[in-house]
Formats: sequence, C-alpha cells, structure tokens
Amino acid sequence: MTTTSVAPQVTPPVARARGRRTHRAPLGKSFVAFILIAISALTIFPLVWLILTSLREQNTIFNGPFIPKQITFKAYSNAWTSTDFGLHFGNSARITVATVLGVLVFSTLAGYAFAKLRFPFKNVIYVVLLATLMMPATALIIPLYLELKKLGLLNSQAGLILLYVSGSAPFAMFLMRAFFETLPDELVQAARIDGAGEFAIFWRVILPLARPGIAVVVIFQFLSTWNEFLYANTILQNTGSLPLQPILFSLMGQYQTDWPMLTAGLTMSIVPVILVYVWMQRQFVAGLTLGAVKN
Amino acid sequence: MLPTVVFFTLFVGGPILFAIGLSFTNWGGFGAATFTGSTNYTRMFNDPVAQRAFVVTILFALATTVLQTVIPLVVAVLINFIWKGLSVVVRTILFIPAIVSFVVSGVLWKLIYDPNIGTLNQMLKAIGLGNLAQPWLSNPATVLPSILVVSLWGALGLNMLIFFAGIQGVDPTLYEAAQVDGANRVQQFFYITIPGLRVITAIVVALNLMNGFKVFDIIYVMTGGGPSHASDVFGTYLYTLAFGSTSGSIPQLGYASAFSVVVMVLCGIAVIFQIGLARRANR
Repeated sequence: MTTTSVAPQVTPPVARARGRRTHRAPLGKSFVAFILIAISALTIFPLVWLILTSLREQNTIFNGPFIPKQITFKAYSNAWTSTDFGLHFGNSARITVATVLGVLVFSTLAGYAFAKLRFPFKNVIYVVLLATLMMPATALIIPLYLELKKLGLLNSQAGLILLYVSGSAPFAMFLMRAFFETLPDELVQAARIDGAGEFAIFWRVILPLARPGIAVVVIFQFLSTWNEFLYANTILQNTGSLPLQPILFSLMGQYQTDWPMLTAGLTMSIVPVILVYVWMQRQFVAGLTLGAVKN
Repeated sequence: MLPTVVFFTLFVGGPILFAIGLSFTNWGGFGAATFTGSTNYTRMFNDPVAQRAFVVTILFALATTVLQTVIPLVVAVLINFIWKGLSVVVRTILFIPAIVSFVVSGVLWKLIYDPNIGTLNQMLKAIGLGNLAQPWLSNPATVLPSILVVSLWGALGLNMLIFFAGIQGVDPTLYEAAQVDGANRVQQFFYITIPGLRVITAIVVALNLMNGFKVFDIIYVMTGGGPSHASDVFGTYLYTLAFGSTSGSIPQLGYASAFSVVVMVLCGIAVIFQIGLARRANR
C-alpha cells in the first residue's frame, strides 16, 4: 500500500521496512489518479457536449460526429435575437446587482451590530433570524406571492428584489458577523475614545477590514441570485421583465428541436458565472462551502 | 440592524404564520377565506397523489443523502491521496457543475436523456447496448434514478470540497501513528478519517436531507413531476396546485399551503437531526 503519501519525510524507516509496499506506491497512486481523471471527464462531459452542440449546424446535431467538422456561431446570433437575450440578460444583471447591494447593506450593518454592539433581546433576535435559514422557498412562495399582491408589487422587479434581499440577508449577516467577530474589540474601543460615532467606526474602521468577508458574501449572493428560478418564475409574469432563468426554461418548450439554439442560450447564460468563477476562484469556493455548511 | 428585523418579520416570519393559517382554509386567491379546520390535512391523507409525493420526497431525500455523502467523501479521500497539481485540476473540474443553475443543468440533462436523439441513448447504441436505451424521463421506473444522477452531478463537487477541507483538519500524527502500528489505508480510512470527520459528516448529511426535502427546481425543469406524478415531490405538487397551469381552474392556495407546512416540518426535523448529530459528535 502507499504508505508514503501522508508524511514521507517522517517515516523513512517504516517505509524501508516495508519495501514491498512502497514499491507499489506509485502504482496505487496512478490507479487512483486514473479513477479521478475518469470521474472528472464524466463530470465535464455534459458541459463540453453543451458547447459542442451549440456550435453545430442544425442539420448535423443528430448524426454528425461528436466533434463537429464545421463549427458555426450562427446559433448564438439566432438565440440572441429571437429570444431578446440582451434584454433578459440585462434584467438578470440589474436584479442581481440590486440584490447584492441590498444584501450587503443589511448584512454588514446587522452583522456589525450582532458582533460588536449591545442591545436588548440580541440573542433572541439572532436565533430567530437563524431559524429562517432553513425555510425552503417552496414553503414560503404562496404567502409571499399573496403578500406582494397586496402590496401591489406583484409582477415588478422591485418586488422580486425585495424578496431576494429579505430572504438572503439573514444568512449574509451570519457570515459577516463571523468576520466582524475576528476583529479585536480594542479597535472599536480605541475609535470610541477618539470620539468617533458608531456609524463612523463602522464605516471607517470596521468595513475596510472586512473586505475578505464582503467578497465572500458578494460572490455567494451573485451566484444564488443569478441562478434563482422559483421566485422569478412566479412573481414576474410580464415577459419583458423576466430574468434569464425563466426564459431559458421557457425556451425548452419553444425550441424543442432547435438544439444548437437552445444550447447556445444555455451557454451564454453561464458565461458570466464561469468568468467570475475563474477570476475569483478562491473566494468562490470559500463562499459556497461556507454557504453550504452554514445553511 | 432594526431594518433587517423588520424586513425579516415582513417577508419570512409573517409568511410562515400566514402559510400555517392558510392551510386551514379553502381560499382560492380572492374573496373571503372560509375556515375549514383540518379539512386540507384530511384531504392530503386521502389524496393518492399526495401520498405518492410524500413517498417520493422521502425516497429522494434519503437517496440523495446517501449518494451525495458517501461518494463525495470517497472522492475527497482519493483526491487527498494523489499529486498536488492533479488534485487542484480535479477539484476545479468537479466543482464547475455547482455553479451552474438548476435550470441550465435540468435542460441540459433533459437533452442528454432525450429518448430519440439524446446522447445517452445514442452512446448506448454505439457501444452495442442499444437494448438498454429507453425514454429515461418518461419511464416511471427510470425517471427518479435519472434525476438522482443529475442531482449528484451538481452536488458532488461542493460536498467533496467540504470533506476535503475537513480532511486537511485531521491531525496528521494520527496517520503516522497508525502507519507505525501497521494499519493499512483502508483501516486508516475507517478508524481515523471517518471518526475525524464526524462533525463535517453531520453537516453534510443534514444539508443533503434538507435540500432533498425542499427539492423543486431540478424536478420541475426536467419532468414537471411526470410521467403521471411518478416524480412529483411536495415542492412540485404544491406549486402545481397553487400556480398550476390547468386553464381556468381555481388555484388551491389553502390546500397547497398544507403542503408548505409539511415541508417546513420536514426541514425542521432535518435541523433538529443535525443539532443532535453535532452534539453527539462533539462529545
């Protein structure tokens, strides 16, 4: 067996004592590597297939070779114009940006208050906010729908953003609180002695130090808002104001057989997410893992 | 601080109570709601579709929990075992499906599963297994396993990373000691890695359970609950009841709310389960 991989430099005597085993080590490693490469290939295959299909001529999707002989970007311009892709892309972008900003404002302020300030019922409020993290969207969608209807915000992007911000702020607050708590209390006290007001302390002292935490919240929020489907599909009925996800869903019915166009639309919708992922991979992974664990 | 609380009461706390209240009425969306007591719940117990959705929801949650805990754990251990450069590449690739929306992955896999021209059937035919080819999503026997594959595809990378991070936190001297004592890799996995990951595993299990109970997007996009309710879960069934497209029918908001309440209770159980597991693991 491959005893050497964990701490090779610490255990040379042992390794020597089991010469037969260490001899097999590289083989075992290669075998595991082979399995993992196969799993990775299987994982990435659907996405490669997606992109290849979007580059095909319509008449070669069902019988052509796996890697198309000729590639064409026709499907992309088709998808862009016939679905009004730019409009919905813009809707998605606007809704996402507004939501991220809203969540940031609430979560940093509330996170700071929970981490550094004292006020009545602090713990009760905190626990109640936490309890909401487990509420599934499907369980809340009916009352929220009715509530927005009553407020006259049904079918408006503002109403949707309101739902997103209120639904996500508790979790983001939870994350921000954890970050603020790592900052020493002396910082706040020193600023107070210097005569800074509570808000000035927050804005000038705490916030600049919390940048890594803010990055995680921004990315997590960007991704979940961009990908959200249920609320967007329910709250907005006017096609012109829909973001991308419901549009992609409706494309499936409309262009059932035009696979290049369908896949071109899907590909275009994941481009921004992939770009941000490649660009800020570290924060991305941190955000999603933290998000998952804390949820 | 205060705004968050106000917001919360308005858009989370309020709706929870509202849903519970609604579930005791027969409201259709307009006019006055009539209090009907527990009628909706009795109806739920006698509704064959609801019974089926209940079974499917539980099955789906249990199956995803087992698959999406065991496989990512094993993969994480394997990744920890190979060369660093390759490990980074594998982790990056496995994580990509986690950032793709359920709508995109649902549509994408629906094309792959397409009965006539889908890639899966074509590949099966190409390698001589054509008799296995079938309408994956419209055969009641294969629809759920097919969706499980998509769910696993999306969840593997994220859960694997959580386990991978956990493995880095296991005390390396334990493995050294085990080696000195002559424990092999498999023994090390069962006697060091698994106990060392108890807390992480509790979290991943609870996470999977909860996501399983509240599953909606992926099933709604891929099958809409079909064929004939074979893949209907609570989430999709309540959505159809409340917002379903059956033309002109009155939305059954009261009845659908009863399902909301059950989903909340299930998620609550998952949370209590997690707290219990975490407590035990910490002891």
